[in-house]
Amino acid sequence: MAFYEENPHKIDSADIVAAIPSFSEAEGIGYVVEQVDRGLREHFGHLKSVIINCDNHSSDGTKEAFFAAPGQVPRMYLSTPPGVRGKGNNLRNLFEKVRELRAEAVVVIEADVKNVQPLWVKNLAEPILKGVGYVCPLYVRHKYEATMTSSIIYPLLRCLYGRRVRQPNVGDFGFKGKMAEVFLDSPVWTEAVQNFGVDIWMTNIALSSRMPVCQSFMGGPKVHRVKDPYAHLNVLFQQVLSTIFDLMMVYADFWKQVKWSKPTALFGTDVHEVDTPILVEVNAARLHERFLEGYDEHSATWPRIFDQTVVPKLQEIHGMGLQHFSFPTQTWAKILFDAATAYHKMNASERGTLLDSLLPLYLGKVLSFVKKTERMSLQQAEEYIENECTIFEENKPYLVKVWE
Amino acid sequence: MPKILVVDDEEHIRLLYSEELKEVGYEVITAESGYRLLETIEEEKPDLVVLDIKMVDYNGLDLLQDIRNRYYDLPVILSTAYDTFKEDMKSIAADFYVVKSFDLTELKKKIAMALETRLPT
Repeated sequence: MAFYEENPHKIDSADIVAAIPSFSEAEGIGYVVEQVDRGLREHFGHLKSVIINCDNHSSDGTKEAFFAAPGQVPRMYLSTPPGVRGKGNNLRNLFEKVRELRAEAVVVIEADVKNVQPLWVKNLAEPILKGVGYVCPLYVRHKYEATMTSSIIYPLLRCLYGRRVRQPNVGDFGFKGKMAEVFLDSPVWTEAVQNFGVDIWMTNIALSSRMPVCQSFMGGPKVHRVKDPYAHLNVLFQQVLSTIFDLMMVYADFWKQVKWSKPTALFGTDVHEVDTPILVEVNAARLHERFLEGYDEHSATWPRIFDQTVVPKLQEIHGMGLQHFSFPTQTWAKILFDAATAYHKMNASERGTLLDSLLPLYLGKVLSFVKKTERMSLQQAEEYIENECTIFEENKPYLVKVWE
Repeated sequence: MPKILVVDDEEHIRLLYSEELKEVGYEVITAESGYRLLETIEEEKPDLVVLDIKMVDYNGLDLLQDIRNRYYDLPVILSTAYDTFKEDMKSIAADFYVVKSFDLTELKKKIAMALETRLPT
């Protein structure tokens, strides 16, 4: 697909590819390139490396900033055609280039990260060079950061594919060069995957590929240059969830065989200084309002989607005030299982309505999590999430039954 | 009959675990320290390891790292007298953990879960 390529060093093979996907990141990409360059030289100086900027034809000078950044590792620039956006499209260009370069290891780091360090390159690439197929980073996170991951993505992927990967949707990762072929061969290449869905799409495919997957501790939080987590919530929610549901249809024969879950190997535990997470404030009253608004808007849809025991439970939850608000995890698991099954069985044109109707329920679940964990430490909140995952796993036979 | 390796430096714990787990039908072998643990695993090929975290000469969490790096899917259950170990990131590479007790109900439940965990190969 690459519409445009600039390869000033005429690179035609590489051991390690470090990729930086971007769209209009002229302001921040130079810093990321500099750190990635240092990481490659400090930790993999004996190997042949290349840094690739996979861009969406930015017009703000991203390409110029990429090439102008200080460093010594050769660089290459790839771009989608004008008007073609999305991280997924950038990564598709990357997969094709990785195949062409016959790279052993690939590291992807987002262009808008403010605090990337050379160590990140080491922690994402080293496990790959030791034989792992796919690496997800493990950043230090506040208990209320990435609530979609804590309440949907992690428990769902864990109970489906049987592997405990705590931050499967984080945007940075490492993978074996051969995985590029697996990604290119995937039957699912939707608009969602071309955009926000691509991160979970990759992890999902890796989990079902039978390649060893590991997590790598990064020693601190990931800080984006500017990012409002709620700016694209509706679109992000739809794209991530539809990608998981689409892949459930492809890998049904795999996940139906999975029982309980297993941990992954953990790299990067030799980090000496661990940073504290960035505080995330949550407006509980606003979450409650959005749950109630969404209930009024979507409750007529739910009886067609959910098991008959779910709707009365939702009515009960709706009647709770903010002070006593609680959303049982078993109900939440059943909602996601029923929704995935309905998504699988309905026409593609109806799926958008289903996904829209899940958003207020997700916000209700987040509110419940916030209320249950407000006095908990980070560690205690993590244990709470682990218990929720066990509830998902215990209820998985229900999913297998209704799916069939 | 699944074979379980119990690694603990306290003799009474090894005896207790051994007797109770044999009673419910497991084959049990024991090790009193982490010394040559990977070699023991290689030779004995256990189906599951119950690993004490705090031994006199060995840190169970470091041993867990070694096991996990070599045996990607070997179930490991951490056994500990204190739950402060959970603050250490390394503990997430374990399948489960149990707090040491004379009542082995929880340990037996976790062993059964770990042994029946199934992933397509």
